[in-house]
Amino acid sequence: MLLDTGYRPGPTAALRESLYRIRALANNNTLIRLRDPGQTISYVVMPMVLMLVLEPLYVRAVEGGTTKVVTGLLVMFSVFAISIAGNAILAERTWKTWDRLRVSRAPAAELLIGKTLPIYLVMVAQQTILLVYGCLVIGLPIPGNIPLVLGSILVWAFTLLAIGALLAAIVRSHGELSVITDVGALTLSSLGGALVPLSLMPEWAQAAAHLSPGYWALSMLQAAVAGDTAGTMLPAAILLGIALVCGAFAIRRLTRGWGRGGLL
Amino acid sequence: MLQAIDLVKRYGPVLALDGFSLSVAAGEIVGLVGHNGAGKTTFVEIVSYLIRQDSGHVTIDGRPPSASRGRVGVAPQHIALYPSVTVREHLNLFGKLSGLRRAALDSAIEELTVALRLGAFIDRRTAALSGGQQRRVQAATALINRPGLLLLDEPTAGADLETREAMLDVVKQRAGDGAAIVYTTHYLPELVELQATIAVARNGKIIARGTYDELVDGLPGEVRLIHDNEEEVRVSTTQPAATLIDLLGRAERPISTIEVYNPSLDDLYRSLAVSDAS
Ligand SMILES: Nc1ncnc2c1ncn2[C@@H]1O[C@H](COP(=O)(O)OP(=O)(O)OP(=O)(O)O)[C@@H](O)[C@H]1O
Ligand SMILES: [Mg+2]
Repeated sequence: MLLDTGYRPGPTAALRESLYRIRALANNNTLIRLRDPGQTISYVVMPMVLMLVLEPLYVRAVEGGTTKVVTGLLVMFSVFAISIAGNAILAERTWKTWDRLRVSRAPAAELLIGKTLPIYLVMVAQQTILLVYGCLVIGLPIPGNIPLVLGSILVWAFTLLAIGALLAAIVRSHGELSVITDVGALTLSSLGGALVPLSLMPEWAQAAAHLSPGYWALSMLQAAVAGDTAGTMLPAAILLGIALVCGAFAIRRLTRGWGRGGLL
Repeated sequence: MLQAIDLVKRYGPVLALDGFSLSVAAGEIVGLVGHNGAGKTTFVEIVSYLIRQDSGHVTIDGRPPSASRGRVGVAPQHIALYPSVTVREHLNLFGKLSGLRRAALDSAIEELTVALRLGAFIDRRTAALSGGQQRRVQAATALINRPGLLLLDEPTAGADLETREAMLDVVKQRAGDGAAIVYTTHYLPELVELQATIAVARNGKIIARGTYDELVDGLPGEVRLIHDNEEEVRVSTTQPAATLIDLLGRAERPISTIEVYNPSLDDLYRSLAVSDAS
């Protein structure tokens, strides 16, 4: 007996089936992440070490140094984590598994959600761990408005995920991806004021900072940590805008696939 | 079940498909053979909606490929598995993606584990498997939901005897259950064993289609006689047996050696499947 009937489920059944497939995909991607956790671990541990070492310097150099050192390094290493998203998606291309999934019953939206959900959680976890560490070890005051901070983390992780997906969709090799993510991350985050506080940077750099998502992430997180809801909104909106544009391009590209000639 | 009419696909200067037409009925196995670059994989990719044709039509059970997601089981030519994921986890993933649940999923996995002999390595990561073992896993992930159309692109490439036999048994059984199957191979004896309809692709077109007997009939064989261990007579003929009798009747000297070559699979392959370029 063959299962190919013309059966079409009703809307609730269709949703249930869709969630079932997304869970299967997300489980698979979680397994893959858990079996290769190295990159994730280093992007959590490295900023912890740096926070500890750099905190006295920041405190002496600028006002609110503790907040700046925690949020700055958080932003910098969360930008590095773009490569986690990028590599995870690019790997599906090098393994040729993405085309196998495209042949399955799961439509492209499900494939993308199933693929990116575990990575999103990894990114949110990375930032949350770093903030908690900042409070417990570095001496960042515990934020008054926790939901605001959490919301900011969700927005920033979403932006990073979209940028990562876009990069994975357009590069031709893992080498190309790491050049873009490493150099790009360092430039974006330091230009945004994540490494050296913006007030200490040359004037041209301060002006250019506004072009960097890192700058907006930093403004958003610093406002959120300070409980400044109004100050959080503008950067959050800008980041969401960037995320939507990058995400839309990535989705279009990933849905179409590459055929055979896509990779070096 | 599958109908492809006049497909054309161009990659820059390369004409990968050049008016490729092929139909496969439910329960039929079509063995697709042809030289490297003949367009077999390109055809498979179009039917599975991974790439689009420049022109021509495909329908699967009356629907276009875009509306046939999940109804087609595809085992691609190149191994495409997650290296760090085990065989069982792969079967679970692809089974669930095709909508199988609990008991049905378990029994489908069990059935394929036995049929394709995956038991010995079912809990190992695919990166640690041999090429032939990976081949079997790949086929299993394509077969798990019993699709009505199966596209198996060189499913026995690099396979040993045991893998080959297991694969052929499963393919026969699925055809018996009513699946339409496109089976690509460079190894013609498999198609004879499958009693497949053979379709020969050359430079992006199907140039011949028929059973093995139909295709071999009419190809020239050869009769070779040696008289007194020295004088050799060779005759190329489409009817080797009749020619031999004729030659023997006319022989005036003792004959030391008689050899008869019937047209073989290889002759068929050579006569049909060679690229114009080569
Ligand atoms: N993405 C691509 N870009 C450029 N050319 C391509 C692409 N895909 C296929 N081709 C070309 O199309 C032609 C047909 O290729 P295809 O893979 O369909 O052949 P095949 O019959 O499967 O060969 P093989 O027996 O080697 O697997 C070849 O000349 C190939 O180089
Ligand atoms: Mg091929």
